[in-house]
Amino acid sequence: MRTGNNSGLKVYYLSERAVTIEFGQEISEVMLTQITAFNATVNNHPFPGFITTVPAYGTISVFYDPVMVITTESMHGVDCFEKVANYLQSLLKPISHHQNQTPVNLITIPTTYGGNFGPDLQEVAKINKLTVEEVIHLHSGATYKVYMIGFVPGFAYLGGMSELIESPRKATPRKAVPIGSVGIAGKQTGIYPIASPGGWQLIGKTPLILFDANRSQPSLLQAGDEVVFKPIDSHEFEFIANNRYADSHY
Amino acid sequence: MRIRIIKPGMFSTIQDEGRGNYLSQAVPVSGAMDTLASRVANMAVGNPKDAAVIEFTFADAGFITETDVIMSYSGDGAIFFAGDQEIKTDRAVCLPSGTEVRLRANPCGIRTYLAISGGFNVPQVMGSRSTYQAVGLGGFEGRALQSGDVLNSNINLTPIAKNIADSLIGNTIKSASWSIARHLFLPEDRMTIRIVPAHEFTWFTGSSILNFLSHEYVLSQQSNRMGYRLEGPKIEHAVTKELLSTAVTPGTIQVTNDGSLILLMADCQTTGGYPRIAQVAAVDMPLCGQLKPGDAVNFKEISRHEAETLYLEHEAELHLLAVAIKSKYL
Repeated sequence: MRTGNNSGLKVYYLSERAVTIEFGQEISEVMLTQITAFNATVNNHPFPGFITTVPAYGTISVFYDPVMVITTESMHGVDCFEKVANYLQSLLKPISHHQNQTPVNLITIPTTYGGNFGPDLQEVAKINKLTVEEVIHLHSGATYKVYMIGFVPGFAYLGGMSELIESPRKATPRKAVPIGSVGIAGKQTGIYPIASPGGWQLIGKTPLILFDANRSQPSLLQAGDEVVFKPIDSHEFEFIANNRYADSHY
Repeated sequence: MRIRIIKPGMFSTIQDEGRGNYLSQAVPVSGAMDTLASRVANMAVGNPKDAAVIEFTFADAGFITETDVIMSYSGDGAIFFAGDQEIKTDRAVCLPSGTEVRLRANPCGIRTYLAISGGFNVPQVMGSRSTYQAVGLGGFEGRALQSGDVLNSNINLTPIAKNIADSLIGNTIKSASWSIARHLFLPEDRMTIRIVPAHEFTWFTGSSILNFLSHEYVLSQQSNRMGYRLEGPKIEHAVTKELLSTAVTPGTIQVTNDGSLILLMADCQTTGGYPRIAQVAAVDMPLCGQLKPGDAVNFKEISRHEAETLYLEHEAELHLLAVAIKSKYL
């Protein structure tokens, strides 16, 4: 299998309709910045037949229509894989000079902690020998990075949680975790975009809709975004929940 | 045109060619599991290839036409009957208003596609009419069809669809004089699935790879539109590396921690963290879409270049067929 190797980057075959560019095999903010910048470059410079990209922790996958790619003479290579790989390699070089210029979206997630909104908040505090207030302070005091969207529509893999509030998954998963629940599992924190079964420790809940098929951008969060959680009380929760379609900010 | 479901069968959903533009937001591609059969059904009535069809799973389903309907069906899960009259497959057929159609089991496969002139008229959600039932997205109210559901066609027909309809419409069941030889687009051996080694192919022991390419693997009962569990010799990991979650796609064969195989299908997640042993050739995905629990398959290795060439040839042949149908009716 032929793989391109300029700038130490590897392109490999995913399917007839997709190639994957591998940036590395660890989770790092530096790589996230590179991947986010390259993702923007590809989307801003689409080739004939380009469909979409899927950024992940260490890779970007590029999906395309082979019938269009094979007939594009300006792309060089004996088959679609080579044509797309060569095209992507040609895009890689310029970005290393200005890879920090991609603007970052900062998204605030209003969250009501504890009580019925976060039934496991006390357990997380107990596990970590903290007070409930300290858990809230630590969780809402950090700025998180969205490394990738995966698992279910609109689910963001967030990095940057304080080690002081790490908590194991629940021994028995819940059959139904309510939509919007904010949870902790191991070193990760996340938000349930849809109601589903799950074993995360639930510490709060946001009234924001993380995934809405009728929005122009259905997933509120995108890979490369930054996220902060802002504590709100249950009255504010109700207010936002009842007004979310009237307030363009949310 | 309008039909009403009188018996939904095990799992019947509206599908089209899928929702490919939202993978980065973790929305599965969905769409027909056997894209060849869904395309043939659409082509036979002159529809565009991405018109919405019904995907039936097994048989035991039925519907009634509430207007005169020009339809065609394709696939290997069921044979359609109007009373005792068998409706021929892979061709346009006029079913007069009030025709009751029952699906009888076809042991060759599992999924059967019903197309009607104009395609089923359900709203496009995120660029597709496909049902993704897990989050209630698309299709008919985001769910599987139920008894009593009434489905209408789009009124706007392509010029070919209109001419095909005009040639058949009447008070009796009437079939077009031509049909599409779908089997010619499929390999003779439907139980050998061609695969391309995937990126982590070398993460497994040599004897495991040999087993993978020489033993039969059987589709387990835990198989659905998201993926199939395959039972056979376990695949041993030669390295203990962890794979960071990365994009996967229908046709990806993952190896779980206990060495079992999962073949991802239309409704699969967009990313996964299990190492991947192989990617099924796109031209053989329609065969996979017809596999049912208990079916045994063999995997045969081909190169990525061969897989791509087969795909492009396949698309070129389907394009020629579309041109031939067009020239017959326009």
